Amino acid sequence: MSTATVGGPIPNSGTSAHLARVYNDIFEMLPNVDNPSPMVRINRLNPVKSFQLFAKLEWLNPLGSVKDRAAWQMIRDLEERGELGDGRGIVEPTSGNTGISLAALAGARGYHTRAVVPNKVPKEKKILLKIFGAELDVVNDALCPAPGLGDGSINLAKTHAKASRDKYAMPNQYENQKNVEAHLQTTGPEIWKQTEGKVTHVFTSLGTCGTVTGLSRYLKEKDANIRIYAVQPTEGHDVPGLRNISQLAASKLFDPSLIDEILEIDYELAYTRALELCQKEGLMAGPSSGLIFEGAMRILERERKGCGVMIFCDNIFKYASNMAHHLKHLGEGLDPR
Amino acid sequence: MNQYAHPEMLVTTDWVNERLNDPKVKLVEIDVDTQAYEAGHIPGSVGFNWQTQLQDQVVRDIISKEDFEQLLGESGIEKDDTVIAYGDNNNWFAAYGLWIFKIYGHADVRLMDGGRLKWLNEDDKELVTTPTEVTPTTYRASDADESLRAFLVDAMEVSKSGSENLVDVRSPDEFTGKILAPPGLPETCQRGGHIPGAKNVPWVTAVAEDGTFKSVEELRKIYIEDQGVTPDKPTIAYCRIGERSSHTWFALKYLLGLENVRNYDGSWTEYGNLVNAPVEK
Repeated sequence: MSTATVGGPIPNSGTSAHLARVYNDIFEMLPNVDNPSPMVRINRLNPVKSFQLFAKLEWLNPLGSVKDRAAWQMIRDLEERGELGDGRGIVEPTSGNTGISLAALAGARGYHTRAVVPNKVPKEKKILLKIFGAELDVVNDALCPAPGLGDGSINLAKTHAKASRDKYAMPNQYENQKNVEAHLQTTGPEIWKQTEGKVTHVFTSLGTCGTVTGLSRYLKEKDANIRIYAVQPTEGHDVPGLRNISQLAASKLFDPSLIDEILEIDYELAYTRALELCQKEGLMAGPSSGLIFEGAMRILERERKGCGVMIFCDNIFKYASNMAHHLKHLGEGLDPR
Repeated sequence: MNQYAHPEMLVTTDWVNERLNDPKVKLVEIDVDTQAYEAGHIPGSVGFNWQTQLQDQVVRDIISKEDFEQLLGESGIEKDDTVIAYGDNNNWFAAYGLWIFKIYGHADVRLMDGGRLKWLNEDDKELVTTPTEVTPTTYRASDADESLRAFLVDAMEVSKSGSENLVDVRSPDEFTGKILAPPGLPETCQRGGHIPGAKNVPWVTAVAEDGTFKSVEELRKIYIEDQGVTPDKPTIAYCRIGERSSHTWFALKYLLGLENVRNYDGSWTEYGNLVNAPVEK
């Protein structure tokens, strides 16, 4: 396949298209083993030089987060099964990123999206969902949740899907195996190729658990010694998109046998570590990346040797107000004296 | 005995599904978040908002008798109808509504076990968005039956004398005062902790994984044998705002058949704001 040039014939996809960085549509830009999201080494913030540590920058995906991967697989699956079109769009419970990816990708395919979000989701994400054309339902967070009873946003989305079948198909990222397959087919192979098979440790977070389950299944098949760490915030956290272990009942994709260790981190560290990554590595890392970085640091100190990859889910731009809420000095001095 | 004390008070989703066209069975969905009703409800049901339609909007109190009569009249409910209450949050607000129906003397009101979540997750159950057509009625309620309700003075007296079971159904962290309210909710009390002498039996201990009530044997073991909520004396249940305790009130009164059970709806948002009231943590 020839290298694409503007004005000339544009190839459909493939490595050479990625080299030229000219694409026919947004879908060709989605990540895969020929077009992996970049990995960058942590330098100033890595105190253990015998342990190489890389961040995989998922915010460089077309819609700015790791969720592009699952959203695209789920849309393709619904299309293949004839579930979309003729006025039928998508309804999905989301803490933001999946909804943004779904709304944008569905919009580019001609489908409408309704996103059901918990109230605690940052305002930036709610507005972004609307910018990408999603109709928004905002629900109060579970008042006193009980295991197995699910949460408000999942149940409201299911209600729309059941009561308005003619209008909505629900991908349901919490139960959809395509979410796992996305990472089995893209994230896992990308890491393996980018590290030339040298990866020894992977650090990721727990939300729907699609990422950890998919990439772990792939990488452990390649090398059973690769250790997979899941980092989760302490209970009562407000790190959007992540779940504490007590909240994982909502996800049917959680497979503890594929995780070597779950690290529980004080959620306030998500914000301070994100700030450090911004200021000392030039990485525009969001709070979940901060949390994962803190988890990785603890393992580095303990194990001293290896090649680690952290999945940095999204960037800091959606969390400016969240950051200022947790790190008070960021919100000071913003007005004229 | 392996049956609830009043088995007729709890109906299954299948029972409701078989009676969707019965003109004497009226379905009432009672939610804290009425978005759910609007997004999809059981065919023929009417929707109540527990906060704006079942409570007085000026004084902190339950809805007045007159307003209750108007609400039921507008909802097409007659005095001899079988009313089935169901709702979100595991039927907390439906149980609160049932408690109010009982206070105003509606004879036949029951709870749909598992609430709207169970219905939602069953493939053979339908949800609709179409508004329910209602033929208004003239509803005459009875005077309020205060024997079902405990007030602050009752709670304080019982705390002091130990003459009744006092059951705090909130989470352990609320009971011990570690938190003032469940995460994300505005904190509406000045002090954390519980009423001295109360036993902590969180509401959730009464339900199975799918949100339906546990068997009578399990309930008996939890409340009577393990927690000592003894049937030989009256019981007062409370929580934060009186809705979770309605759920436990229902279980104790109708499923276990305790004789004299009252719901203290003032609950911790009243007690926890009092000056000089004794508090245990």
